Formats: sequence, structure tokens, C-alpha cells
Amino acid sequence: MTAFDEALRPGEIVLEHASRAFSVRADRGRTLKELLIGRKRAGGPPPVEALRDVSLHVEPGETVGMVGRNGAGKSSTLRVLAGIVPLNSGRVGCGGQIVSQLELGAGFGREFSGRENIFLNGALHGLQKEQIESRLEAIIAFSELGDFIDAPVATYSSGMFLRLGFSIAAHLDADVLLIDEVLAVGDEAFQRKCEARIAEQIGAGATLVLVSHDAALIERTCERLVVLDGGRKVFDGPVDDGMPFYHRLMGTADGVPSPQ
Amino acid sequence: MAYRYLFEQMVRRELRQKYRGSALGVLWYLINPLVLMGAYYLMFGVIFNQTSEPDYPLFLLIGLVVWVFFNQAVVSAAPSLLDQGALVRKARFPREIIPASVVTVQLVTFLALLALLAPVTIAIRGTVDVALLLLPLVLASLFAFVLGVAFVVSILHAYFRDVAPILSAALLPWFFVSPIFFRPESITDQPTYRFILEWVNPVAPFIGAIRDVVYGGIVPSGPELAYVVVAGALALLCGHALFRRLQGELAVVV
Repeated sequence: MTAFDEALRPGEIVLEHASRAFSVRADRGRTLKELLIGRKRAGGPPPVEALRDVSLHVEPGETVGMVGRNGAGKSSTLRVLAGIVPLNSGRVGCGGQIVSQLELGAGFGREFSGRENIFLNGALHGLQKEQIESRLEAIIAFSELGDFIDAPVATYSSGMFLRLGFSIAAHLDADVLLIDEVLAVGDEAFQRKCEARIAEQIGAGATLVLVSHDAALIERTCERLVVLDGGRKVFDGPVDDGMPFYHRLMGTADGVPSPQ
Repeated sequence: MAYRYLFEQMVRRELRQKYRGSALGVLWYLINPLVLMGAYYLMFGVIFNQTSEPDYPLFLLIGLVVWVFFNQAVVSAAPSLLDQGALVRKARFPREIIPASVVTVQLVTFLALLALLAPVTIAIRGTVDVALLLLPLVLASLFAFVLGVAFVVSILHAYFRDVAPILSAALLPWFFVSPIFFRPESITDQPTYRFILEWVNPVAPFIGAIRDVVYGGIVPSGPELAYVVVAGALALLCGHALFRRLQGELAVVV
């Protein structure tokens, strides 16, 4: 995998002939014994090709929705764009500060307070203490957590958890925002607030890649649609043309969407 | 060093999380090595004391404090990447921060113990000498060495889950062949064995050098000093290179 962040403008996303496969096994990690004996564990399912030769070029400020059935490669694409998972072949690059919300708040230390987690999450994005302190009030206010901000995250409801996670991510000055199917968890009022905040960031020049099964949300938020199927890009164009294509794809897929 | 603050946060997390809810809290970081040192001291300083070293307890404790740092640091570094799997899977940040923060916490413990032990040793032994000026260099080399080993064991353990158990199993015999409760020259006349005890075990020169300076009040021998500096630099460079090479798939394997 070659990264070429240097050459990219903030907010620009490039994916060239990207391929990535994952081996699917219940127990992750190998043991030294297997390595020394040189025996690959026989049997088990073959690797799943999550991305097959996907190319994508997103200009700064574009809003891209990504749809497809479960297992189509949407989340893998986001993980690749976020720089968490490397490619088997092809190239990937994102310019500027990337803020990803792949499962909001997953990095939270449950026994730490909301406030402490704000600092940890800011630090995970490469921010310094002063930079986080200067946003602290805005984050807490946005989250509407009030006094709960100093309670351990373990005591939060899932809605509070989500609000904190989104509030942090929304205040990190993203050039590229990667959002994975998370907004649906909050109540309607907070959802609207999140959408407004995202729109604000896009207005300020951020690029958005949004993975969701909520067609209405994508139609409201995104101008461009990418449809993935079986790890391949099968549509890339204006959302108005893409949605009918997507619905046709889902409708003609012999009844039930495939479960993997 | 954009992630300087993350490192600070991880050190604090490591300090607070492990013993959270325990009555003694952070003190466990001092109690564990103290208990270990007490047990070994009882064993070799009192029950099986057959040496002619003057002020043998001090001789023993200086070696022990170095070993315990090495031991605790690599043992807690090995599973550290898996322990922080939730972060590794979800966020992009330099993964080195995880083992480095674990080693740093142990370093702080080690320095605290040394700060208690060294002045006492120096006062009792009367070893105030210019040789003490070498201590920072030796300690920095030791930290580099331990950090390098920690990089290796943590990244290998993420891929091969036997590494931590193998390490635990190896550390006990390793302890017994390390010159902690003896000097190599006082237990063997065989040049080969002595060479193995003194130079093949990479921890031995570190123990020797620190003991020379603090307990002996002498400048470590040229080869010993060179070994310590080179071993520290080499372990860190190679360990980090291996870590970099293997870290790509971390989010998938942990």
C-alpha cells in the first residue's frame, strides 16, 4: 500500500484500484506453533474480498453517500479511508484531518468520566491539551449531558454515549468526515442537531463520506452516491440517479438481502 | 510529535486503570516490585547467603531493582496491544504509543525505587565518585533496551498469542542466570561459562554497569559501557523497525 497524503489537498480523497480481503476465522491470531510447523490451518471459509478494485476520487467539499447491502464493503471502505486497515493492493489517500466515527465512542474507557474521554478522544486525533481545552465547553454544551459529563461513561445510556461521541467528533475541525451508520441511534431532536452540525462543517469546506441504510438521510445530506455490491463499485454519480439504481439493486436481489 | 498528548493520556490511563477500585491504587506499582524484591532478598540474601560481598543486601537489591524493571516492563508490554484493542480497531494513531506508555509507567516505578535505594547504597558504601556521572547514560541505555524489547514482544504477541506465555516461562530461568545474586566470576572459573553469563545475556551488562557505578563506586569497564550503549541503541532501532513492519495489520488481528 502506498500512501500519498502529502500531495493531496485537505479534504481530497483518492482510492485507486483498492483491494482488500479479510480471512474469516473465529479465533484471531496465529500461534507460534503453527508458524514453526509451517502448517496453515486447513478448512474454514476462504477469505472474504471486502473490496475489489475500487477506485474513487472525491474533491474537497463533496458529500458522498455510500450504500449497499450488508457485507458490500461499505465499512471496509471507511476503515481503509480512515487509515486503520491497509490495502492488499492499490493506493489510498486522504488529505488533511480525518475524523472517523466508526462506531461512535468505541475507544471510550468505561470507568473514565465523559470529560476525561473528551480529552482521550481528542488526543487520539492528534490534538494537544490546549486545543482540546479550547473546545471543551462547546463539546459539553453540544452533548447536552450536563452534570453527567463528570460521571463514568459506564453509567451512560446508549443515547448519552452516542451524544458524547458525536459531540467530540463534530468539534475536531475535520477536513474529511467519515460517518458510519450511527446517527440513527439518537432521538429525533439530536439527530436533527447532528445533521445541522454536519451541514455546518460541510459549509466550512469539509468532505463527507456517509455510510447509511437510511435513504432519506443520504438524500438530504449527500449530492453524490456510491453503490457498492460484493466489494465492487457498481454506481457512482448524482444521488438523484443513484437512488433508483440502488432500490432496483436491492429489489431484484432474489428476495432477501444476503446476510454476510 | 503531534501525538505527544495522547502519550501522556495513555500513561495516565495505564496508571489509573489497572488498579482502579483497589484500596492501594497506584501504590501497587511499588508494592509488586517490593514484594518480589523482598522474596528474592529473603531467599538469596538470608537463607542461601554464601557470598563474601560486603553489604550483600545492597549488592542484591541493586541487581534486583534493575531486573524487576526489565521483567515487569516486558511482561506488561506483551499483551498491551491486545488490551487496547478497542482503540487499535477504531482509531488511527501511532501504535507505538501503547507499549511505550506501559514501559514508561514501569520506568517511573523503577526510578522511584532507585531513588530510594541509590542514596542509601551510596551513603553506606561511600561510593560518591565521578563514576556516578555515567548513571544517566546507563539508565537511558537501559530504557532504550527495554523499550526495544517491549516493541518486539508486544507486536509479536498481537500476531502469535504464545509470545506472552513463552516470555513468562523464559523469565524465571533467565532471572537465575542473570548476575543478580552473584558475580559471574565468583561462581565459575570456566572462561566459556563466564563469557556466557557476562555477555550473552543482554541484561547482565546493564546490571553490571549500574552496580559498578552505584554499589562499587567505579567506572564500568570500557567493553561493558560500550555493550550497554550499543545494546540499548540496537534493541530500540531493531525493535522499532520490526514493530513498524508488522503494525499494518494490527487493527485486523487484535
